[in-house]
Amino acid sequence: MPRQISREDETLSGEARAQPVWDLPVRLFHWVLAGLIGFSWWSVKFHHTDWHIWSGCAILTLLIFRILWGFAGSSTARFASFVRGPRALRDYWRGSWSGIGHNPLGALSVLLLLAAVAVQVGLGLISEDEDGLYMGPLAVLVSTDTADKARDLHELWFNILLGVIALHLLAILYYRLRGRGLTWPMITGKARVAPDDERMRPGKWWAALLCLAAGIAITRWIIAGAPPFGS
Amino acid sequence: MRFTTFAAASACVLLAACDWQAGQANNAQGNIAEDSRPATNAVATTTAMPSAAPKTKEEALKIMHERHEGMEGLGKAMKAIGREVKSDSPNLDTIRASAKTITDFAPRVASLFPPGTGPDVGKTGAKPEIWQNPHDFVAKAGDFQKAAQAFGAAAGGSDVNAIKASFADLGDSCKACHDKYRAKMKH
Repeated sequence: MPRQISREDETLSGEARAQPVWDLPVRLFHWVLAGLIGFSWWSVKFHHTDWHIWSGCAILTLLIFRILWGFAGSSTARFASFVRGPRALRDYWRGSWSGIGHNPLGALSVLLLLAAVAVQVGLGLISEDEDGLYMGPLAVLVSTDTADKARDLHELWFNILLGVIALHLLAILYYRLRGRGLTWPMITGKARVAPDDERMRPGKWWAALLCLAAGIAITRWIIAGAPPFGS
Repeated sequence: MRFTTFAAASACVLLAACDWQAGQANNAQGNIAEDSRPATNAVATTTAMPSAAPKTKEEALKIMHERHEGMEGLGKAMKAIGREVKSDSPNLDTIRASAKTITDFAPRVASLFPPGTGPDVGKTGAKPEIWQNPHDFVAKAGDFQKAAQAFGAAAGGSDVNAIKASFADLGDSCKACHDKYRAKMKH
């Protein structure tokens, strides 16, 4: 892997042009999600459980959006472009992989992060607080015991989520120390790429709108009590 | 780009309506409970912090255990009621049975926190702040007792909206005290 980075740097040194690698929806998704995870932690820590539940619903919307955008978005946003088999991983490890967007290893990290957040949201949906003051939108669909257990797991899983996030940050730091900044491209959407790498094919803005609208609609359906609107 | 405004707008759309607070009334009927309050307030609530600290550790632990069980019972009752008031056709019998658990225990709350039953003595979610602000704590326990009485009265009737409204007030009185005086406690 280290060879890969240095090889790329050599190629890049002669070329200062920054090319689009992340579309705006991907970047917005990333930063809003990061912000909402922080807000979720803060709000429940400081007894704003109602805000915490809203935040979870907003994260649910983001997740649905991101999954849809993974099929309809720009080339680097699509799962089909970045979820690869073990061969690509091996190539990446040997330094013979080149491309834009998530590298084969980073792609695994993305899936891990998305899954960890999804589990956390799922648990939150059916949780209730220990005083019986707040219920997740779908807590009525399960028994009180289950909702209590879900809350315990929800608290436990947060540590798993933190671990995955820590891994994510450590990886970014690792790349940084190897001379490759990943944060700035996630802000501006642009990075220097190798001349022979494929360019990003941008998504359609109306497709993003549709994905977001679907995300909101599905979230509303879920928080209304899912299948036939409640028990 | 257009996405930015859309994302902002969508957040607003998403955040419209829906209540998580189990007892929150969906309409303006909350006023009903407000109106009936003076009557219930007239019921004397004499809650005082017991002056006597338990003499032995054993005695202290016994009080703490009783307190814990009682609070857990309150939690269970609140959850049972919460589920009923959320449903389309609340079961009034369930609500009344749970309301009784609450109204029975509520007057005892303040007396179950004598000095010497804090986290230094045994496992408890009671924060030391309770004994640093005894007046405020007792006042909050009194608020809870009043809210419990009001809820008990509403649960005796069959006006579901009044029940919902007074249940929301009851929850607020739990929260007011817990936010300040309860630490996280793992079983």
